[in-house]
Amino acid sequence: MSTRRSRGSTRISDDQIIELVSKLRQLVPEIRNRRSDKVSASKVLQETCNYIRSLHREVSDLSERLSQLLTTIDADSAEAGIIRSLLNQ
Amino acid sequence: MNHCVPDFEIQMEEEEEYPISISKKPSTQNDEIMELLWQNGQVVMHSQNQRPFRKPPPPPNTNGGDGVIPAREIRSSEAESYGHQHLFIQEDEMASWLHYPINEDPPTFDHNDFCTDMLYPHQNASASQNHSSAAVQSSVRTAELRHPPPRPPIPPPRRPEQIHNFTKHGNASSSSKAAAAQQTVVDSCDTPAATAERAETGRASVSAAAVKAAESGGGRETATCDVTVTSSPGGSSGSAEPVQREPVVDRKRKGREPEDSEFQSEDVDFESPESKKQVRGSTSTKRSRAAEVHNLSERRRRDRINEKMKALQELIPRCNKSDKASMLDEAIEYLKSLQLQVQMMSMGCGMVPMMFPGIQQYMPPMGMGIGMGMAMEMGMGMNRPVMPFPNMLASSTLPAATAAAHLGPRFPMPPFHMPHVPAPDSSRMQAANQSDNNNMLNSLGTLDPDKSIIPNFTDPYQQYLGLQQAQLQLMQSMNQPNARKPSTSRGQENPEKHPSEET
Repeated sequence: MSTRRSRGSTRISDDQIIELVSKLRQLVPEIRNRRSDKVSASKVLQETCNYIRSLHREVSDLSERLSQLLTTIDADSAEAGIIRSLLNQ
Repeated sequence: MNHCVPDFEIQMEEEEEYPISISKKPSTQNDEIMELLWQNGQVVMHSQNQRPFRKPPPPPNTNGGDGVIPAREIRSSEAESYGHQHLFIQEDEMASWLHYPINEDPPTFDHNDFCTDMLYPHQNASASQNHSSAAVQSSVRTAELRHPPPRPPIPPPRRPEQIHNFTKHGNASSSSKAAAAQQTVVDSCDTPAATAERAETGRASVSAAAVKAAESGGGRETATCDVTVTSSPGGSSGSAEPVQREPVVDRKRKGREPEDSEFQSEDVDFESPESKKQVRGSTSTKRSRAAEVHNLSERRRRDRINEKMKALQELIPRCNKSDKASMLDEAIEYLKSLQLQVQMMSMGCGMVPMMFPGIQQYMPPMGMGIGMGMAMEMGMGMNRPVMPFPNMLASSTLPAATAAAHLGPRFPMPPFHMPHVPAPDSSRMQAANQSDNNNMLNSLGTLDPDKSIIPNFTDPYQQYLGLQQAQLQLMQSMNQPNARKPSTSRGQENPEKHPSEET
């Protein structure tokens, strides 16, 4: 299993990593819905990357839509302010 | 330094000095040399300018009584003034080491070896540097190259595999450069881990096998190194640099080593019965081969995981952590904030087309509240991963926070009866966003029929609004200067808002 000399540190980090992987598993909807307990770390990481990429795409799409909406409404209205604050993220 | 150089001088001129006990020593031709001569216990210093300097015999100079003390030269590279000061300091020192030169043979540490030590290590270093430069410009690799010669059968099978991996990675989204660096990172990390593993698992009977495995591992490293070197031109042109940089970083990146074995341990829990089976194998060669296969598969698995970690790291903005655990932490926070942001934006997108005159009397105060709620929601959502995303914070929180303070008392939140339900939620807000959403959604689901300030909104929007309002309250409570705990302060706020809303 783990090497003897690094066992002191691995014991702590092992749990951390397992916890983090489980957290990721909860966050990523695909894995969460799959209801499988034996998801490997590599799978979790892969799904996380895919999910983040899809979220990025979604954010850019929404930004586009918001900017389009911004042009259609009155620039002084509250909604414009909302949209601008959203877009300035 | 002063010991070395003046000793050198002394060595050369000592033979001349010895027969001359008291006489002045002819000064050498160097500008910087200051002569320090002993004359009957008194220090007479002659600089190049022939300026005698007399000093009374200092008390600590117990040596002053000795008559025959060869003159000493003290060479100071600095000016005479420094030499003057230097002289005083040297008094005591000379008292100690003056004894040594009395012997015919100068003490080894003073002269020969001292200087040779200075000289020879340079040669060694240069030789090693030449070696390393001739090799793959990595001391890690040179150590591996000097490792026992690789076993012939092992490296060739590894080679096509490595090359295969390279081509596969070259086609992947992550550049082959990263993959090459990845491979070297993993491999360089693997060696000590692998050898340590083998060292641990190897017993007396299988020690030979373990050694062979280590050798083959070392051989595989060299083969891998060769492969990386050869394939780096095949890959991107710039891959050579990260390949060179990575091993240097590897040695510093000690966090990766245990991380590799940790990740391995997670799956080893699933695979432990297999490994035990292999351990109970009959012959040592069989076991070594099985262990080898096992290790290879482990290594491949770890390679995949490391590659994915790298890809994840690239996706996360402003992630400068090399530690896996902290990187995963950041990934989690970033993912949460991204989800939140997408929620916000989708809500904003959906909200704007709903600004019809029919509900305008409701919307503006609500819209302002929602807008500020959303903006502050963003700010708060970004607040939690405060460190990684300061740029987002700067833009959104500052205007929003002030606006929230104004909007606070006027905010019509109670229709959702948020105060009671989210109070416990706010304390859990740090834990998981999803659970909060679920709780609020559930509470909203129960309360919707009771009161709804926006009658025509569809359910998802109401849910989002509820989320906004709850978090807005949280922000307000956090913005208030005397807010100690969000729940308590919100408990105080809510009764105030209830009458305001009812009126």
